[in-house]
Amino acid sequence: MKFTTFILSTLLLSFAVPAYATTSTSIVHVNGLVCDFCARAIEKVFGQKTEVEAVKVDLDQKIITLDFKENQKLDNATITKLVTDAGYNVVSIDNGEGKK
Amino acid sequence: MQKLYISGLLVIIMMTAALSAVARPISYPSGIAPMVMNDGTSNSANIQYSPTATYSIGYTFEHFREDNFNLHALQVNNLLKRWNNPDSQGNLYLESGIGLSGKGEGIHPVAFTGAEADWEDRRFLVSYKNRYTTGQDINDFYMESARLGVAPYIGEFGDLHTWLMVQVDHNPRAKDPVTVTPLVRLFKGTNLVEAGVSNQGKILFNWMTQF
Repeated sequence: MKFTTFILSTLLLSFAVPAYATTSTSIVHVNGLVCDFCARAIEKVFGQKTEVEAVKVDLDQKIITLDFKENQKLDNATITKLVTDAGYNVVSIDNGEGKK
Repeated sequence: MQKLYISGLLVIIMMTAALSAVARPISYPSGIAPMVMNDGTSNSANIQYSPTATYSIGYTFEHFREDNFNLHALQVNNLLKRWNNPDSQGNLYLESGIGLSGKGEGIHPVAFTGAEADWEDRRFLVSYKNRYTTGQDINDFYMESARLGVAPYIGEFGDLHTWLMVQVDHNPRAKDPVTVTPLVRLFKGTNLVEAGVSNQGKILFNWMTQF
């Protein structure tokens, strides 16, 4: 009986996990971000991507913060290509995930 | 009424084109940038579409007051090289156009080409551009200009950005070949305005937006 309860509980828990929506954020360190014009370009390019919930540009830190929609994200290769195509250079990308 | 409409349209276009020397000649991918520039020599209007961040194509109208001729051209701007540094950016552009000019009676082919270079960080800006223009009904001419700018404060993304600048124009065929123009640039969102008065008392006014 205890064994059956344990198995059932485990199964229930494993089904419960996908019910959480995951959101993720990428922090992109960029070279060449020196003016509002640059920031607007980045905002425009990422704003057109359906996966992106919000774009924040920090000119002081030279970073772009990309908040993605639930269960969506852009991979690092795509982010790098978009930044490069916009005319700037990616230094590094930090990816983070969270649960809602 | 039609004349008024055309005049109004030309004024808007001219206000647009004047800034091509002022702001970046290439926008972001799929961006459209209309500009207008007015200074002691000419009034111009320009609208550029940038398929990518490395080139733009557009239409330019210029009216040279002293010589009293108009120029309509298809203009292509190419980004030849960009230096992206952690705290600064430098660019080298080639800007060329081919079109028609009208002086007095008749319309004749005209072409121009020139280079533009700039470097800026969040505090300082320096730029230089030149251009050689040739046409069937005009005397070929060369012009160049340079700018030095300083931002009195460092604005964050979305703030009103202010630049204090000095522009030096060299126009060898002019009566006064060298003109110095102190000016103020205000930049907020996607709108840029510049205004100044030259040492010859001529007004400079430029406007640009992008979408």
